[in-house]
Amino acid sequence: MKSPALPLCIVLGLLAAGLAPVHAADAKLVITMMPKAKGNAYFISCKAGADKAAKELGVELLFDGPTDSNAAKQNEIVENWITLGVDVITVAAENKEGISTALRKAQKQGIKVLTYDADALADARSFFVNQATPQGIAYGLLDEAARLMGGEGEFAIITATLTAGNQREWLKYMDTYLPQKYPKMKLVAVRPSDDLKDKAQSEATALMSANPNLKLLMAICTPGTPGAAEAVKQAGKTGKVNVIGLGLPNENKRYVHEGVTESVMLWNTEDLGYLTVYAAAALAKDELKAGATSFKAGKLGAFEIKGDNILLGKPYIFNRANIDRFDF
Amino acid sequence: MNQNSPSAGWKSVVLRYETLLLAVLVVEWFFFYHYGTTVNRKGVVVGFGTLDRQFDILRHSCEIGLLALALTPVILTAGIDLSVGSLLGLCAIIFGKLWREGGLELPLAAVLTLLAGALAGGLNAGLITRLRLPPLIVTLGTYSLFRGLAEALTHGAVTYTDFPAEFLFFGQERWLGLPTQAWLFLLAAIAVWVLVHRTTFGRSFRAIGFSPEGARYAGLPVGHRTGLVYVLAGLIAALAALIYTARLGQAKADAGTGYELFAITAVVLGGTSIFGGRGSVSGTLLGVAAIAVLKNGLACLPVVIRMNAAEEMSGMFTGALLLLALAGSILPNILSTLRLRPQAG
Repeated sequence: MKSPALPLCIVLGLLAAGLAPVHAADAKLVITMMPKAKGNAYFISCKAGADKAAKELGVELLFDGPTDSNAAKQNEIVENWITLGVDVITVAAENKEGISTALRKAQKQGIKVLTYDADALADARSFFVNQATPQGIAYGLLDEAARLMGGEGEFAIITATLTAGNQREWLKYMDTYLPQKYPKMKLVAVRPSDDLKDKAQSEATALMSANPNLKLLMAICTPGTPGAAEAVKQAGKTGKVNVIGLGLPNENKRYVHEGVTESVMLWNTEDLGYLTVYAAAALAKDELKAGATSFKAGKLGAFEIKGDNILLGKPYIFNRANIDRFDF
Repeated sequence: MNQNSPSAGWKSVVLRYETLLLAVLVVEWFFFYHYGTTVNRKGVVVGFGTLDRQFDILRHSCEIGLLALALTPVILTAGIDLSVGSLLGLCAIIFGKLWREGGLELPLAAVLTLLAGALAGGLNAGLITRLRLPPLIVTLGTYSLFRGLAEALTHGAVTYTDFPAEFLFFGQERWLGLPTQAWLFLLAAIAVWVLVHRTTFGRSFRAIGFSPEGARYAGLPVGHRTGLVYVLAGLIAALAALIYTARLGQAKADAGTGYELFAITAVVLGGTSIFGGRGSVSGTLLGVAAIAVLKNGLACLPVVIRMNAAEEMSGMFTGALLLLALAGSILPNILSTLRLRPQAG
């Protein structure tokens, strides 16, 4: 035991690890993208679009985030990216205020910051890639409803809760748009579903028996759309009462193919990822500056910029023809 | 100790678990320094070998480090406290609520939060010592209870933010060159170290852990001292909650989820026997450092970065490290046999 292995290990370890010169990185622009949760199908499809954009632009895309929606982990990952010296950080913020501290720190170190999907505080990022404006959602849904109803008749809305901020805003836009554009269409009721599929289903059943002339049910929260469809299907009113609404393709594919649900609307998440990466690259190259009013993103063409919001534009309509191409 | 042999003193230092762990830590650090440091596009040195990153490691390890400090005396008495992570969340909410909805001044809210933490620790202590319930089951219960309370108090939705800069200073700024919370952590570490290693009071924790019956026969107030370690754990968890809130600038019911497991990992990795009786505060600190360096270092390795899997990898490696440490929990025994073995080999 004159020469224990331990000091030897230390010496060898030091020699192996050493203080040799560090690696030189390649000169590619490094863009990072953080989802709210890495396993969420919504964000996985964002990543598919982002990957496409990164390939076209020849930039390196790092896509990382918490495995569950966790604001603390988002901060730690941003801090990690800061010391890795990346060029642009893009984030879908789980918590507005929480993430902003880390993002401001990044900005202070000369890293450009963008948000997409869910915004941070305005002073903590340069631009927000806004997937859909309240107006876009409200008008888009009403236009689709009018198309299916032939511009006249009764319809009802199933919302999240009566106090939900997003939904209130959409309803506000509908209230002014409906009488102007489609005066012959009548909104008979707005019922809450508490963001639960079962509750949406029972509300839809009640709506149908109370309003025998109902031509269409519109759900403006994602659990509401499959819930309403299930109610229509069980009531045997497929084809008589149409269902449309906001929704994830996967939850609604079945009903769309059965003809219960005509179409569901959501923004194209792939395009959201694509646009975000294009905007990030432009920001890093100083091609996108505060005050710009439009922005061209590769194959998708030009997008409008309002203030510091880059608008993805109109929501995307998923119907029998295209819904199978989407997996989220 | 075999003080007669000339090399015994030297051996007793080198062949210690803590020394071994320190060696592992040093090798780990240089490994990440070597492979995790790069120069970016602008020619700036980035990655593991930057001062900022070292400070990040310090800041990220403060909360889990505090919980590990809280757990060291607990585990020394052969107990366990699974509720510290949940208590961190509850204390963060209590603090936010007292300040925002109660309209209290921040220092007062902080003191009351520490008190609440101690009180919650007292609940664990009472159930364990008075009702003689196993710590594992009691704290498994309060693990759910505290988290549930935090969620109920906020309906799972309220997040307290917009704390003033003077408070955020404790989590986001530097004081005398180091992140502010590192000083608080250091203070807590010294306090726990003195308690455990330099007071007869604290030494009794190990006696209790070895054999509660024996300790009782020796005239130690076992119930009272066992209770105290849980109260202390609650208090430290509350301090961790304040630091967590200051670091993120937000108090939310999910604060500290899963932290108890990282903390237990750090303590066990630090050479404290999960069966009680053996262990040290310095070991715990090394355990915390080993995990923090591993986690942050992995996030700097180009390979891991390109795989976008820093979190998963650090989870995997931390797990493997713990298993290794558990399998090697016989290691301290082997080392002490080596240390005590008379000359020859």
